Amino acid sequence: MGRVSRVLFVCSAALLAGCSFSEPPEFRSNTEGFEPDEITPAQREEIAFPLKKLFGTPDEPAVPDGVGLDLALLQMAAGPIRSDIEGNPSGVYRQHCVACHGISGDGTGPCAEMLNPYPRDFRRGVFKYTSTYASSATQGKPVWEDLDRILRRGMPGTSMPSFETLSDREIGALIEYVKYLSVRGQTEAQLVDYVVRAGQRRLEMDLVLDEVDFFAGHWTRAAKSLVDPAEAERHAPAIDTAEQLAASIDRGYELYLSENARCYTCHGPNGEGDGEQAGLSADGEPSVLYDDWNKAKKGATPEETRKRAARFRLPIQPLRPRDFTTATFRGGGEPIDIYWRIHVGIQGTPMPASGTAGTTPGVLAPEQIWDVVNYVRSRARW
Amino acid sequence: MKRRLSRRRFVARTAVAAGAVAAGLHLPAMVSAAAEGWGDLTGRFLYDGTPPERRKLTVDKDIECCGKFDIRDESLMVGPDGGLANVFVYVRSRGVEICPELEASVEKDVLLDNRDCIFIPHCMTIWYEKQQYYVVNSDPVAQNVAFTPLGDVPVNKIIPVGGEFRHQFGRKQTLPVKVACNYHPWESAYVLPLDHPYAAVSAADGTFTIPKLPAGDLEFQVWHEKIGYLDTPQWTGGRFEMTIQPGTNDLGTVKIDPAWLVES
Repeated sequence: MGRVSRVLFVCSAALLAGCSFSEPPEFRSNTEGFEPDEITPAQREEIAFPLKKLFGTPDEPAVPDGVGLDLALLQMAAGPIRSDIEGNPSGVYRQHCVACHGISGDGTGPCAEMLNPYPRDFRRGVFKYTSTYASSATQGKPVWEDLDRILRRGMPGTSMPSFETLSDREIGALIEYVKYLSVRGQTEAQLVDYVVRAGQRRLEMDLVLDEVDFFAGHWTRAAKSLVDPAEAERHAPAIDTAEQLAASIDRGYELYLSENARCYTCHGPNGEGDGEQAGLSADGEPSVLYDDWNKAKKGATPEETRKRAARFRLPIQPLRPRDFTTATFRGGGEPIDIYWRIHVGIQGTPMPASGTAGTTPGVLAPEQIWDVVNYVRSRARW
Repeated sequence: MKRRLSRRRFVARTAVAAGAVAAGLHLPAMVSAAAEGWGDLTGRFLYDGTPPERRKLTVDKDIECCGKFDIRDESLMVGPDGGLANVFVYVRSRGVEICPELEASVEKDVLLDNRDCIFIPHCMTIWYEKQQYYVVNSDPVAQNVAFTPLGDVPVNKIIPVGGEFRHQFGRKQTLPVKVACNYHPWESAYVLPLDHPYAAVSAADGTFTIPKLPAGDLEFQVWHEKIGYLDTPQWTGGRFEMTIQPGTNDLGTVKIDPAWLVES
């Protein structure tokens, strides 16, 4: 070998030796809420095995039969960040989402601890800003448009940015991957329940498949619980004059203060998010609200909360009722967005549903909800 | 959407067929409780010590209405004679045969009342396929009922004054579900949806009865909100086994050491 080529050979060998290819990422087991020693390695393996078989890995996703997810889209979202010779991207989830939402969609990516609110943990299968109400057939799963809306607009008042600049196909891939992480996550939570809480030693694959089918079915049927925007808009009062708007706002405020809706109890007497539920309680302690992800960290006493919260990755984070004067609405500030928040509530939070859910009447009729929408929007202080 | 016949159901159907063949061949058949009878399980939980005074809860919402009640923590209710209330006892064995009399006589509604600014009863069980959770507001203020059973539809409903609603649970739960009120944060209750009626919550005097269990070996689970599974030296993980005979089966008085109800 010539001298130059020998030098090159040695240099490249040295470089390659230092260039250790890292292990492909694995999904993190969902053992939050448990003490580390509460779950044995055998139990972890019992849970992880069927999940890996059915759902694959972050690099190589799989779709169980009958789940109705598009594998091609999942493959586009999954895996390392790369693109083909024509520039078609892959690894889109890793490129755009992992920093906050984490490789497992558990909302504990590296940036998460700095953020308020925390990024969504998809594994609970709960989505806050939906146009669908919670029914047993759908369990309030969002429709495709709800996720598309969030991705395209982002969430004002949070660190969730807009991904409008991505192609339609990339956005479609991300929506599909979020659904995948959610179905996988809810399945895993059930398996943890069977193995760790109920003490089952073996998980039959049919049991796992039943659970997968169960959770996937909600997504498939999500549109059944849709609060159709066109239908809702038909009930909006005519607002052609300033007087009509003022009258609607007045009606809305009356409903806001009414005993059946009780909006003021959290959102305050003037919509500033300072209701008694969110302020100081009679004994001077801050009266705090939590979303479901953080409620799991809460105990009956501060000592208990400390112990419980230590079993989770991120510290407990309280939830504030929206201050309408900021005119910043996480689910969007269009009238229909606010209509949906009132009608179906915000899943995973104390914000209840006030509108009709299928055949079950709500406390507010559609016309009344529009009046409240107008009141809420009227509170904006630019 | 057509479901493919799952392997589990295929196996189950084959087993029934095999059982029929076995019976015809006079081979040992699977235990049939209908042939052997039904038995009741009774017992009593005794708190073996002096319970701490029940903490007064912070009632700072709707004070005009709720402030007049002496609302105290319900997480450890011990009767004057030491009976430990609100202990859940339920059959853990899967696929238990259910007494046809129970099926016929089961109450369709299981009531959760919002009354005097608390939930009544504090603890209950529900046979989710046959019974509905019937939630009523008997208070002069609007109430809210919110709970999130694992893998089941979440509920967060406003109940106006004089209002009510019925809820059907969609699946059984491993642990009792905590029920809260978003308007009145001190309120709490527990409901355990199961796929059979063989469950009880101990009364104020600590006693409980589970009627018409299928005779045979059964495994029971015991749970209390203070500690979760009631792990004792005799009951690992809060579980005990019992051979139920037709007639009465008495677990007797079970003495609960106060230390067992404290998380270490």
